[in-house]
Amino acid sequence: MGIAVIGGGVAGITAALDLADAGYKVYLIEKNAQLGGKVSELAECGMGLTSRIVKIENHPNIELMLSSEVEGLSGSAGDFKLNVSGNEIGVESVVLTPGYDVYDNIAKGYAIDNPDVLPSLEFEGMLKACTKSENGALVRPSDGKPVKKIGFIKCIGSRCQDNEICSTACCYYTAKEAWEVKERYPDIDIYIFYMDVRTFGKDEALVSDLKGKYGVKYIRSRVPEVIAEDGTLSVKYEDLEKGTVERLDLDMVVLAVGLLPSKTMDKLAKITGVKTDKYGFVETGMTSPLETSVSGIFAGGVATAPMKVRESVAQASGAALKAALLSGRTETIPGQEERKYIEVGEEPKIGVFICGCNGDVAGSIDVPAVAEYVEQLRGDVVAVNTNTLKETMDAIESGIVDQGLNRIVVAGFSPREYEEMFRDACATAGLNPYLLEMVNLREQCAWVHVAEDATNAAKSQMTMAVERARYLEPVPIEQYPVTPKALVVGGGVAGMNAALDIATAGYEVYLVEKESELGGKLKEIPELQNGVKGSDVLTEFADKVTSNDKITVYTGVAVEDVRGRAGAFKAKVTGAGVDDEIDFGAAVLATGAQEFVPEGYFGYGQDKNVVTQSEFAKMLPVDANTIAMVIDGASGDGVYSKSNSIEAVTNALKAKKLKPEANVFVLYQEIKTYGKWEMLYKEARESGVIFLRYDAEKPPVLQDGVLSVFDVIFNDEVQIKPDLVVISALMQPAAENEQLSKMFMVPLKNGFFLEEQERPKLVLTPVDTVNEGVFICGSAVYPAMIDETLAMSSAAASRACVLLAKNFIETPGIVSVVDDEICAGCGVCVEICPVEAIEIVDEPVAAVTYSMMTVISGTKKVARVTEGCIGCGSCASYCPSDAISLQNFKAKQLYAQLDFA
Amino acid sequence: MSVEKLAYLPGCPSEATALEQHMSTEAVFEKLGVELVELEEWNCCGAAEAEDQNLVYALNARNLAIAEKDNLDIMTPCSICYYNLARTNNALKANEELRAEIKGIDPSLEYNGTITPKHVIDVLVNDIGLEEIKSKLVKKVELKVAPYYGCYLGRPPETAFDDPDDPVLMDQLIELIGGENVPFSAMKTKCCGGPLMMTRGDLAFEMARKILETAKNAGADCIALACPLCGMMLDAKQPDVEKALNVKFEMPIVYITQLLGLALGIDSSKLGLQKNVVDTKKILGKVV
Amino acid sequence: MIKTWELDPNFKNEILNELGGENLTACYQCSTCTLGCPITELVPSYNPRKIIQMSLLGMRTEVLSNPDLWICAICQTCTARCPQNVVVGDVLAVIRLLAEKAEEAGEIKIESPRPLFETAFLHTVEKYGRLYDIGLAMEYYPKREGSFIKGQKAMMDDYMAFGMRMFFKGKMGPLGGHGLLKGVLPSKIKQRDVMKKIFKWVEEKEKER
Repeated sequence: MGIAVIGGGVAGITAALDLADAGYKVYLIEKNAQLGGKVSELAECGMGLTSRIVKIENHPNIELMLSSEVEGLSGSAGDFKLNVSGNEIGVESVVLTPGYDVYDNIAKGYAIDNPDVLPSLEFEGMLKACTKSENGALVRPSDGKPVKKIGFIKCIGSRCQDNEICSTACCYYTAKEAWEVKERYPDIDIYIFYMDVRTFGKDEALVSDLKGKYGVKYIRSRVPEVIAEDGTLSVKYEDLEKGTVERLDLDMVVLAVGLLPSKTMDKLAKITGVKTDKYGFVETGMTSPLETSVSGIFAGGVATAPMKVRESVAQASGAALKAALLSGRTETIPGQEERKYIEVGEEPKIGVFICGCNGDVAGSIDVPAVAEYVEQLRGDVVAVNTNTLKETMDAIESGIVDQGLNRIVVAGFSPREYEEMFRDACATAGLNPYLLEMVNLREQCAWVHVAEDATNAAKSQMTMAVERARYLEPVPIEQYPVTPKALVVGGGVAGMNAALDIATAGYEVYLVEKESELGGKLKEIPELQNGVKGSDVLTEFADKVTSNDKITVYTGVAVEDVRGRAGAFKAKVTGAGVDDEIDFGAAVLATGAQEFVPEGYFGYGQDKNVVTQSEFAKMLPVDANTIAMVIDGASGDGVYSKSNSIEAVTNALKAKKLKPEANVFVLYQEIKTYGKWEMLYKEARESGVIFLRYDAEKPPVLQDGVLSVFDVIFNDEVQIKPDLVVISALMQPAAENEQLSKMFMVPLKNGFFLEEQERPKLVLTPVDTVNEGVFICGSAVYPAMIDETLAMSSAAASRACVLLAKNFIETPGIVSVVDDEICAGCGVCVEICPVEAIEIVDEPVAAVTYSMMTVISGTKKVARVTEGCIGCGSCASYCPSDAISLQNFKAKQLYAQLDFA
Repeated sequence: MSVEKLAYLPGCPSEATALEQHMSTEAVFEKLGVELVELEEWNCCGAAEAEDQNLVYALNARNLAIAEKDNLDIMTPCSICYYNLARTNNALKANEELRAEIKGIDPSLEYNGTITPKHVIDVLVNDIGLEEIKSKLVKKVELKVAPYYGCYLGRPPETAFDDPDDPVLMDQLIELIGGENVPFSAMKTKCCGGPLMMTRGDLAFEMARKILETAKNAGADCIALACPLCGMMLDAKQPDVEKALNVKFEMPIVYITQLLGLALGIDSSKLGLQKNVVDTKKILGKVV
Repeated sequence: MIKTWELDPNFKNEILNELGGENLTACYQCSTCTLGCPITELVPSYNPRKIIQMSLLGMRTEVLSNPDLWICAICQTCTARCPQNVVVGDVLAVIRLLAEKAEEAGEIKIESPRPLFETAFLHTVEKYGRLYDIGLAMEYYPKREGSFIKGQKAMMDDYMAFGMRMFFKGKMGPLGGHGLLKGVLPSKIKQRDVMKKIFKWVEEKEKER
């Protein structure tokens, strides 16, 4: 049996890989002829996705069913039968990741027939295409003239009658597109028309950068039409400050279209029996965000609600684990089989593989000419032309096995993205994976040079690589066992959920909470938006955790002295009479966040009529006649939770419903009721809550019982005499993050843990960190709603399980090597080593000869590299006498390369 | 052809200012073989001046009820009559209580929501159909036409039957009869200013000017339209607009039924083309 | 400066309770209505978005006495485009009705002849069952100008040339061959009593609220 993943977009790809890499049998079903979905249409699609697709295509545990559709489903959880385009497959569980379709019922008033008006996905395609065009310029499709002014219009097909909810992703992707344009074409003027900018955390910082240093103009107006006249485009917007309607000419308009449920979702819901909400998305719960109405069927990504790639892949990972819990690990994990490496002789036989990358490289470089040139280089050099990633991998393997190649040069792709895959291809064929050299002929040659220049540049790049490859030496490979246990730091809802998921998957878990009891922030929430009591949710989780015999709960303790590496960590747990040494293969950091009100903010603390939202929620019902809420106004150490607006709107609505004659004002900068929460905002307006918008520069002031706010939409000051002022607290990261960051080597940003990939790039690994084996989730990364926190924590659990499923991990052995003869034992390297993998030892010196006489025996201090070296190269670069070098970056290899540069 | 007989509501202007629209509508439908039964004792729909929705519902319930007695869908050439009929029909169909209340005013207002109100253009293109009309064409109207739709055909959405931003039904008719639509999308659906004519003539004139000017600049021989208020504003008041703003358009304004009538070979006097205020003789020369 | 405690927060409910005003509070102030408005193009102060915002806040007197209420051309562009289905055109119609009531109650003064025009128009409908242009003008102009004589003059200024056109084109009067007094005398329906009943019913409905 196995698990069926339905939908092969970025979410489905993520779910399938998490499962297959953990040893589950996966059927990946995709209706199109290729994988990738919408993400493959994005400008930066190559980053991260292509390598995953190739991995899937070669994965022994994945049965890829392309151009296939699910036509029937019978049975129940643990024993489903699926009819996939006529073939029957049996699975224990199902993951639904059908993705989305973009809104396409765009009003004709937006001049959509005009070639210079582009829906966002088409614009992404255009950006992608001009990366490859001859001079890379961004030109108008209508007349080929360079673009000087672009207008982005947001909320096309979102927050409107056609599609009432907020599409969530558009604010971010518009910012990202604007950023990409500004990075590449700084002279292009950009105008973004919006109603509310709904970005969070790092995306918010991106928007503020755009407004600041990039000079992008954000203009608050929902532009209702694009006027196309005599070859020009223009839009009208309201200048709220001047109180006028202005007209702006543009060269190009990008429509940020909304995300709708996949057109296949309806049919899929009928077949599977999964309930959908009134917008057509799969119905899930706030505390069960990955579970559908049918037991054994899980959902992730935009199938459940509109969201960004980052949240999509987190959900997909989480849903994969939930599905895995009903299945069994039946398959061998690739790389976990015994590998033997062939002896490499002195004489290099170099195989050069040049990939045309389906025209990406071959379009500007004469690949056969380069191949011919390479073959003429000294020694035994064989060149092979390929066209795709998979073709290249296959050619490498057969080249090693059949032709006895012992040095491999791969040219074409970005090594950042694909190096690991090619090393793996070498290893699979029995060649030490460090006998590989890569040349980036795409970004570093084909995309920046043209015609003959490109071919010539390629020739010299190839020569350099071949010369270096000549001197590559096998790096010893070390194998160490994986400890099949996990450590979860933080006993809030995220930590408890992660612990439960990992334990249910069959691994032991240490759950460590610094407070004396489990629960975290949930203790402060009387009622969730769905009406469920916070305490009920907490009790349910805590009971499950404490009754699970695979989970060891430590409360009132701290983690200390973390050592080791992915798969084999050690740490101490101390406090509350405990002093244990624990071993674990993976760690999940789920330390949450806490509320914080800056000193003196609206007199909070002194004025008893000023309360926080969470205090207000507990006070309800209140008998105040006028309630004023101020959201997102505080500045101080901390960030606003993603749920900030939602919390305020929820409370405003509750107060208004409890006392309809009360005046309830909400003072805001942006109302960020993303996704389906938009309906809550609408309900609040309809119930009579008054929303007043202010600018960060003119925050509301409370003086003598009068709250004054400059409403930017009114362009006038509005005064309120509130009986109660409700403020939103900032969220601060857990105090122990600072220490955990150092111990687990996970960098922080504003005190919150940072994921592996930095924005504004596509985030495909939202719970992974730069330190392999350490995962992050929940409010420790960014304070968010409980549903998102839970999905993310399941994702962290899923990623941890992928690691824990392995029996052993292969790593390059000691990478840094010391030349004892040169080393003076100064110890600079010991200081600099980030993983404490170097020590100074006394080495006996057999004999020292001075001129013709005197033999003295004694000892000498020298550096020794020990287990745990990660090959970062810090020691080599700091060594004052060049005594340390990296096995793979030895001087002679580098000089050989430089000689031919 | 799916339609043979319709109840017909000519609307108040049919008796005076838009006489030619009335004449041409009757003539065209006779030629097309669709019988029009003028609503006996029809009343004013309240136009744009009835702002109280109850008044609109009651006034239009009466007209709907008359047509319902004959079990005929009701057609009108007037955009405002259409809008009021259609929104009343929607409201009454959806609200039984309202139906009962209105019936309580007078038994003659009893309407059960069994018929559908239609605008002439909707009937021509969507019910009779372009193919059917094409089979009856005898002449080509080789004119450059600015198709002007005005307000109530594409909006508001609850009663609209054409695209709100870029309506096409009249364009299709004009093409069918051999005309050429000049680029006019910027003005197609803009308001003519008619409702402000008596209270803010200055604004109304300015709004009319834009439409007339755009048509002239686009090289139109005439503007085709389908609403008697637009007709009054753009045609009957055109000399006033010209005088007030010191411009000269001399832009013939014709009802779409008049143009279609010409293509169907109907005599121009039967289509009332002598009644349009701006002289239409020069366009007759292009009917071949 | 707007002092909210001096406003009438119940004003939005007055609008919500009228037919056509039900969706007022759905508004999220996006500017769509104002940006598409052909009147705003000509009269920059005209801003339906702002009228709605003031109504939401309870600025009853300011809204009801705003002369801009009366320059809406009822073209429905705002209604068609509103993303929140506020039915802006109808909301403005409701506000105009409320303004007329408020004027009757002596609360405000309307700075526009439009209520007079609409009333005159509807009077002819009530009386004859159909619009009677000349009757409308004979009521409207004197009322607008404040005296019969001034009214006649204004009417002549506006409609002398127009009337002659209608006459010569045979749309009004004998030249069209449709009858001697075509368009000059009112066209009356027989069931005029039903019209009376309708207007009476509407009047009573208004009082109910």
